Amino acid sequence: MAKKTTPTEKAARMLDLVPFISSHQGIPTPELAAEFGISVEELLSDLNSLWMCGDNRFDLIDIQFDSGYVTIRNAETLNLIRSLSQQEIVAVLLGLDLIEKDLPEDREDLHGDIKGLRIKLGLEIARTVDATPAQDSQINSTISQALGRQGRLSITYYSPTDDEVSVREISPLHMSRFDNRDFLIAFCESAGAQRTFRIDRIQSATLLESKVVQMSETQSDNVRSSVSVKISRNLRKSRESLGTFISGEGSTVEVSTYSAGWLSRTVMSAAGAIEVTSSPEIRGEIASMARKALDLYR
Amino acid sequence: MSRKSERLVNLTIALLATKRWVTKSQIFTSVDGYEGEPEAMERMFERDKDDLRNLGITIEVGSFDPLFEDEVGYRIRPESYQADIDSITPRELSLISLATQAWQGAVLNSSALSALVKLKSLGIDSDFDSIPAMAPVAHISDSNFASIIDAIAERRVISFTYLNVDMESESRAIEAYGAGTKGGYWYVAGRDLDKKALRLFRLDRVDSQVKSQGKAGAYEIPKDFVMADALTSPTKSHTAQVKVRRDKAHALRNRAHFVDEGDEWSTLKIDYLEESELVSDVLWHADDAVIITPESARSAAMKALNEIVKSHG
Repeated sequence: MAKKTTPTEKAARMLDLVPFISSHQGIPTPELAAEFGISVEELLSDLNSLWMCGDNRFDLIDIQFDSGYVTIRNAETLNLIRSLSQQEIVAVLLGLDLIEKDLPEDREDLHGDIKGLRIKLGLEIARTVDATPAQDSQINSTISQALGRQGRLSITYYSPTDDEVSVREISPLHMSRFDNRDFLIAFCESAGAQRTFRIDRIQSATLLESKVVQMSETQSDNVRSSVSVKISRNLRKSRESLGTFISGEGSTVEVSTYSAGWLSRTVMSAAGAIEVTSSPEIRGEIASMARKALDLYR
Repeated sequence: MSRKSERLVNLTIALLATKRWVTKSQIFTSVDGYEGEPEAMERMFERDKDDLRNLGITIEVGSFDPLFEDEVGYRIRPESYQADIDSITPRELSLISLATQAWQGAVLNSSALSALVKLKSLGIDSDFDSIPAMAPVAHISDSNFASIIDAIAERRVISFTYLNVDMESESRAIEAYGAGTKGGYWYVAGRDLDKKALRLFRLDRVDSQVKSQGKAGAYEIPKDFVMADALTSPTKSHTAQVKVRRDKAHALRNRAHFVDEGDEWSTLKIDYLEESELVSDVLWHADDAVIITPESARSAAMKALNEIVKSHG
């Protein structure tokens, strides 16, 4: 947010302030600043600049904001809503795509609205963008509500490592974003400890009536371990499957993980392309998994 | 300094207010903010025109008399300045408002915000009660995405380096047609100038800044190009039979289009595109899943398991 505004960006904002204030005469300054995503100081500086503008020195825009409420007069020439830029249109269209795919099917009215908006915003641009959400927008909303009112949630969670779908009651603590994915950190009542949930693996979420229970400051009791790994082929795919937990370039890397189970499965899934070289314990575990699986083919 | 911003706004007003062409000398005398030596004012004006153009404001150039082209004039047509959106309903505005919230903390946040401000200037109230509680999220903080959107808008060729399957950086130049997201990844689609074919690139595999090169309007986006189609996975044309342990291998069960539940083992039918993907997905489940057919996938799985036993045993 601390990005410095260029004079051109400021000019653009001043141009956009005119029609906005005209249609919202008397809007309080903090509200107007919030609409434009700027601080009240920045807004006042914009308004002071606008006040100096006009057709000529003797016919300036009449803008009042001393009272903390903003009104504008004598700005007919600029009282036009500026065309949307392609970036602006794309931002809206992609957002609408994300909503559309999570809308209940029976909301035909809203599906119709979104189709109509695509036409209004321009089908020529609409066909060049598309978004399918990685996580459910309604689940996101339920989680935000729980965080906002410190409520508890009942979630259905899918864990590929444990190969299990579990129902858990949790007290959400906060969200975090890592590597373009969202995670919910919560106190899991079933586990009696703090746990991290990947939002896209939460299959359903329901708000529970009762408030967050008193929770101990238990940290996740998992131990992080680091193992050496050698990649013999499919370098990009293998590195991507080890995710962001790897360090080191090329084919010999260190993988740091809380879950030996996850690492073993990832190695199995790599079909021989990844070899754990450091931990005899994990190596033995993987060899035994592979032997058992092989027995099924014989 | 706000003087420059004020000058840009004043210039916009002067050029919007006129129905006739305004000459440069008229601009220099009547628009506040132009001062100094004539050459300095000239340079200032050229820069200001570029800045306004970057804001999407088109300044028309014309002359009073076609026979005397030396005295050119300038103006901005209100029709081209103004957004071409006549009306939206309160419910539509609420949807747009929700759509723009998806960009909080992501790369197009300021564009989303300014789009919303412009549409709210129509003076309509939102009607949030008419839409369900949803919180869409666009996860992308990669600034290359904004460069790509601009390049698509201007039809300008882009170049970047891309990690190939062996993790080597390869130089690519493409005519970008579209951009979007699926399965948590973001993509750009376009015509690869070297391969001379439509290709899809994952943005997290781009390992340089995306640069645009050459002139704007360098290509056309084919009439039949649709980003949603470019992101559609090819039809999975092969079918495998996989045996899975009871209450296990949920990821495979979810994909199955046929399930025959047994006491200890169930048989699934799963469609797949690439045999190697099928083998990987089944091996993830270790001794909870076995490929029965096709024979080639079954032997590929056995070969992989032998290799794992050999290297880890």
